[in-house]
Amino acid sequence: MTARSPLRYLACVMLCVLLLSAACSVRRVTYNETIANEQVQFIRIGQTSLSEVISVIGAPDDVSESDAGFVALYNWSDTKSAAVDFGVLARIFLPYSPTMTLNRAGISLEQFQVIFDPNWRVRAYGFSRRGHEDPVIWFWPF
Amino acid sequence: MTVRYFSLLLFLCLLSGCMVTRANIGEPIQEDAVARIKKGTTTMNEVVASIGAPDRVVRGNDREIFHYYYYDGKSPALFLLAINFIRMDIKSDNLYVFFSRDGVAEEVVYGNRTTRTQFKLWPFGE
Repeated sequence: MTARSPLRYLACVMLCVLLLSAACSVRRVTYNETIANEQVQFIRIGQTSLSEVISVIGAPDDVSESDAGFVALYNWSDTKSAAVDFGVLARIFLPYSPTMTLNRAGISLEQFQVIFDPNWRVRAYGFSRRGHEDPVIWFWPF
Repeated sequence: MTVRYFSLLLFLCLLSGCMVTRANIGEPIQEDAVARIKKGTTTMNEVVASIGAPDRVVRGNDREIFHYYYYDGKSPALFLLAINFIRMDIKSDNLYVFFSRDGVAEEVVYGNRTTRTQFKLWPFGE
């Protein structure tokens, strides 16, 4: 081993990373904080009041009225998007880089709904349909 | 030491840019104004004079509800030669003032999340 070996090794690794990553883009947007099922276990239908719900999980993001009663909505989301542009590799041979991008985005909008009766007691509550957890890097669109 | 300098130089060569973005919707809700709303005494006019006109007026359980909101988003981005990391964290504050049929504040609901908005770059994990 010569003294320059670590530098050559590092340079080779970085070159491999550059070629393999081929212009990756990793994006993530989070909106508000997740409300977990464990956090709402205290809610009892017909007993728990609006102020008790708010004192534990905070103010809702939206309120509305339905035929069933007053509705408090808590929203959150975690959007993950990754893309890889293989056109960057053409820069090695061409004066320009064509776009050859594979992109995938997983938008997971989630909601917790609480319906109150006219006396501000919980009439019903529930989470929106929970999908699968998307990986942060997943660009294969097919 | 040489490896460290070489690594730093390589990183600077790979770094083609960075970006820091801050986005807001609405005006921050003044907590002292919220504290001045007294249940059973503060009127609708006094709330409007103190905080301003609501962003939304909702009707629920036969009562008027004033909704004030504020959104805060922070987004750092790092553009390397071959990989970009972009992340955005958005949180919201919400204030609801419930009024009785005669226009007096009955209930005040305030939630503050924007103090926890962060400039997080690393996209993995929580």
